[in-house]
Amino acid sequence: MDEQTALLKTQLYVACEEACSGDPDRLFTQEDLTALDVIPPKDIKKLLQIIQILTNERLFAPVHLHSGLAWRLRPEAEAAKYKQLTSHDQVLVYEIIDAAGAEGAWQQDIKRRLNVQDNALRKALKELETKRLVAQFTTVENISKKMWIKANIKPSSRATGGPWYTDQFLDEAFIEALQSVVMSFIKNRGSYLSKGERSARSVSPVLPKKGIINGAASEAAIKSKKRTADVISKDEGPVTLAAKSRKTIRLPLPAGYMEYPTTEEITAGIQAAEVAKGQPLKQEHVQELIDVLVWDNRVEEIRMGNRVGYRAVRITKQNPSLYSKPGDEDFWESRSNGLTSVPCGKCPVFDLCEEGGPVWAGGCEYFDQWLA
Amino acid sequence: MLVTRNAADLCALLVNELYGQLPSRIVAALLARGRSNVRDLALHTSLNPKQVRHGLALAIQHNLVFYQTDHETATTIYEGNPQASYHLARVGKILDVIDRKYGVMAKNLVNDLLMLGHVEVAELVRYHRLKHSLKKGRTNGEQNHDHDHNLDPYPYLNNDNDFKNGDPDDPFNDDSHYVNGNGTAHGIADDVMPIQANEVYDTLAQLIAAGVIESVSATMFQSPQDLKASVEQECTKEFPNGVRGAKVTTEFDAMVKSQIRAIGVERTTMKRKLQENALYEPSNIKRRKLANGGMSNGFAGDSGGSILRDEPNTVVRLNFDKCLVELRNQKLTEHAEDFVGETTAQVFAALLSSLCKKVYRCQHDQHTIMTEEEEETYFTGVRVTSEEIFDNLSPGVDVSAGVGTASEEDIDIRFAEKIRKYPPQIQGSHLHETLDEGDEILGSDDEDYDRSGEHLKKAHANGHHGSIAQNGTKPSRDHSGEGQSSRTEQMRQMRQHLLILAEAKQQFVRHCGQNEWTVDFGPLIQQLRYVELDTMIEDNFGRQGLRLTRILREKGKLDDKTLPAMALMRKPDVHVKMAEMEMAGFLEVQEVPRDNNRAANRTIFFWFFDEARTLKRVLDNVYKSMVRCLERLEVERYNKRNVLSLTDRRDIQGKEEEMLRGDVYNEYLEFTEIEKKLFSQVSRLDDLVSIFQDF
Repeated sequence: MDEQTALLKTQLYVACEEACSGDPDRLFTQEDLTALDVIPPKDIKKLLQIIQILTNERLFAPVHLHSGLAWRLRPEAEAAKYKQLTSHDQVLVYEIIDAAGAEGAWQQDIKRRLNVQDNALRKALKELETKRLVAQFTTVENISKKMWIKANIKPSSRATGGPWYTDQFLDEAFIEALQSVVMSFIKNRGSYLSKGERSARSVSPVLPKKGIINGAASEAAIKSKKRTADVISKDEGPVTLAAKSRKTIRLPLPAGYMEYPTTEEITAGIQAAEVAKGQPLKQEHVQELIDVLVWDNRVEEIRMGNRVGYRAVRITKQNPSLYSKPGDEDFWESRSNGLTSVPCGKCPVFDLCEEGGPVWAGGCEYFDQWLA
Repeated sequence: MLVTRNAADLCALLVNELYGQLPSRIVAALLARGRSNVRDLALHTSLNPKQVRHGLALAIQHNLVFYQTDHETATTIYEGNPQASYHLARVGKILDVIDRKYGVMAKNLVNDLLMLGHVEVAELVRYHRLKHSLKKGRTNGEQNHDHDHNLDPYPYLNNDNDFKNGDPDDPFNDDSHYVNGNGTAHGIADDVMPIQANEVYDTLAQLIAAGVIESVSATMFQSPQDLKASVEQECTKEFPNGVRGAKVTTEFDAMVKSQIRAIGVERTTMKRKLQENALYEPSNIKRRKLANGGMSNGFAGDSGGSILRDEPNTVVRLNFDKCLVELRNQKLTEHAEDFVGETTAQVFAALLSSLCKKVYRCQHDQHTIMTEEEEETYFTGVRVTSEEIFDNLSPGVDVSAGVGTASEEDIDIRFAEKIRKYPPQIQGSHLHETLDEGDEILGSDDEDYDRSGEHLKKAHANGHHGSIAQNGTKPSRDHSGEGQSSRTEQMRQMRQHLLILAEAKQQFVRHCGQNEWTVDFGPLIQQLRYVELDTMIEDNFGRQGLRLTRILREKGKLDDKTLPAMALMRKPDVHVKMAEMEMAGFLEVQEVPRDNNRAANRTIFFWFFDEARTLKRVLDNVYKSMVRCLERLEVERYNKRNVLSLTDRRDIQGKEEEMLRGDVYNEYLEFTEIEKKLFSQVSRLDDLVSIFQDF
């Protein structure tokens, strides 16, 4: 390698480094490299020679694309690691693990691609591990798979499962707790808490009700087809009285309300409340939580133009208190229908049940219990 | 109505429950075997032809059976009417709803009609008075013949020989009140004055005008399909050269259509006559009801009763289609109460009752016979104004309650008052044909909003110097002459409820024009089907089961890798739940092998939710469950037959407490408890059937 070549090599590497400063994973094709104006144009041979040198020095990592060959830049510190490798096997194995990046490489996969003996592979991996170049980890997608990754990087969020996983296990308690936080946030911001004692405004001793005597003489009452005051009879009597005394419930807000919390606001709320300190939750994670609540039929989406807010469903039947202990029901009155209450709805032998069969209505013990 | 085995069983049981074993056996045979003639029926039911004819007469009387006579061969073929048989499960609810909406007398009339089947008006009135006077007679014996001198031109018959079912003391009296569970079926009649024929005629006229009772024409005894076929046959006679070619076919179709419309018109003649002459409005109905207390009601001269009296031979029967509309309104109100709140639901009820004045049926298909006017109603939809709703609202409703308060700047009136001119599209349905100016849809939806809300708000601000919250704090406010502004204020509050209903995810109400409202029943009921299904799934498989099915419903088919990630559940948990739900028939799975040798580990499993199939399955399960309740009741009756044979005695009926021995009476009470439980369960199950199928 003459001096000019060495110079050109360094120049090309620096130029590439500059070109990909914005995007470290940028790939360079042959055209890209010639376009950098380091190698004299049309000197394909030179280019080939320099690329060969760079690849040998591990500063370039070849990548096969559909369109042909391309190269990725490897930082010098990373390239230096290859110098520590002593055997050919080690180099090959390390190359594969290096290329796999944060996703990691499966041991079986390495073996299949290199077509080496199991012993040789294990030996190489062991040596690499002792040199602290690679590390073993498990992915949440398949716990039994032996996965390898470069020692200096962390497994991708796909492999660790993001914030929902703690030590490869889905942290259900954490998710549940966060869900109830989200739920109470949505409930609080998207409803009106009505206390049991009714404020003066709704009892309103002043407001004449329709059909009261002085109202009857008014123009409106004459125009309307309502009965006159003197025909008000007892048939409507107890309607309002019963409703007067009731417990604390949540009430819906007027239509057109613009402040139903959005995902951003809920995320901000969770961050402000510092409930998930160790795990910074991003907006997409909160969105996942909200989606699950929507599917659970606890929350519904409400669109106001471009604003996508969320509010609780069946708001008047929701438990009015914001903080729920585990095991609390979400609604103070759960929905039910005919099939949820008759024993047949949950009968394990419903398909067998028929007159004259082994199970029949007359001898049904579920009915016995239910009717007793 | 899809007649599965369970549905057929149920129909037979219901007919048995109300009309006895003979018609029940015939109905069962007809549903199982399809159309048959008397000879076949005799064969299948192991009855002799005389009995079969007897039972058929009874079944026809109650419209449980259609018949069609072939004029050439002079044979008559009978066909079951499963819809009508099923309606018997709703009898209690219908009586209840009629009682609430039209009053006690209307309820009793409907009850009588249910007992008699179709009957002439004069006959019905006579029967009604006779029956309720008998009650009186029992309480104060000397009044037995008091009513002979009043205006009734029709002499009494001393027995019921002329009724085809001829059983005045049939068990129906009991049935009607235990189906609806309020045991007061006839108690009220005891302490009123003797029933005036006028009143009965008036109530009857009112019910006919409302569509609850319909006049019967000969065509009603044919099934709609047969009717269409015979009309078509008639029409082919007009085309001696046969119906060929596009032009002739359209002519033919138009002819058939106009003939069928003519039938529809013929059926509703009486109704329209009454509607035109007596102007039955809901407010009048209430006034009329109240007028029973002695108020003169101002239109006695041209009241519907006198019109009806002029045509005593009109044959009438109960119109279940209209009753279903009333039941649907009730159910929708219940749902609104569940999803939004009590007060809002009452406003919704007012809206529905004024909206449904012109709605006579819930569903229609190509066989439904309608008049032109009715058809128009269905294709353009009906709408009501805020004023109409307000006039329908019961004065007991406190419209100021039930909505939270929010500061004015948080509310965007453009969204709240948004007008949606066109109904939402049900999935898979084609765009409405009338929307040829289709490009306007988006524009209008975005731009248009109802500004009348703003005016109302302004008026409210001027009239009351502040927000609602202050109303009560100024007790000394002078309110003479504030009738107008209080009306405006209440109207504004009522509109708030309507807007909430329009904004709800279920879209209870559509704000379809300036101050105009409508309800898109189709999509709304579809939503409610999902609601009921979800309730069932959540109850059976918990919150997580619900989550999984709803994901599948939204996303379509998913493999078992993506599902756990979306549901934030552990993979094994998901698998257990999915397998459970698949066994129960709520989910389906599709296997897609990745290569030829179909090994399980080389196969992708896609889960999906088949809506139509699930609904059908659930519906059949509901039928089956209803059948089981009724069968259980039979068994209970058999177990308590000793007690029941006692209480069946004429002299004990109604006086069980005095006549029976202590322990026997207790046993009787136990039985009524069980009976009540089972019947209310049947009625709850019927709610599901209604939602899944009939609304």
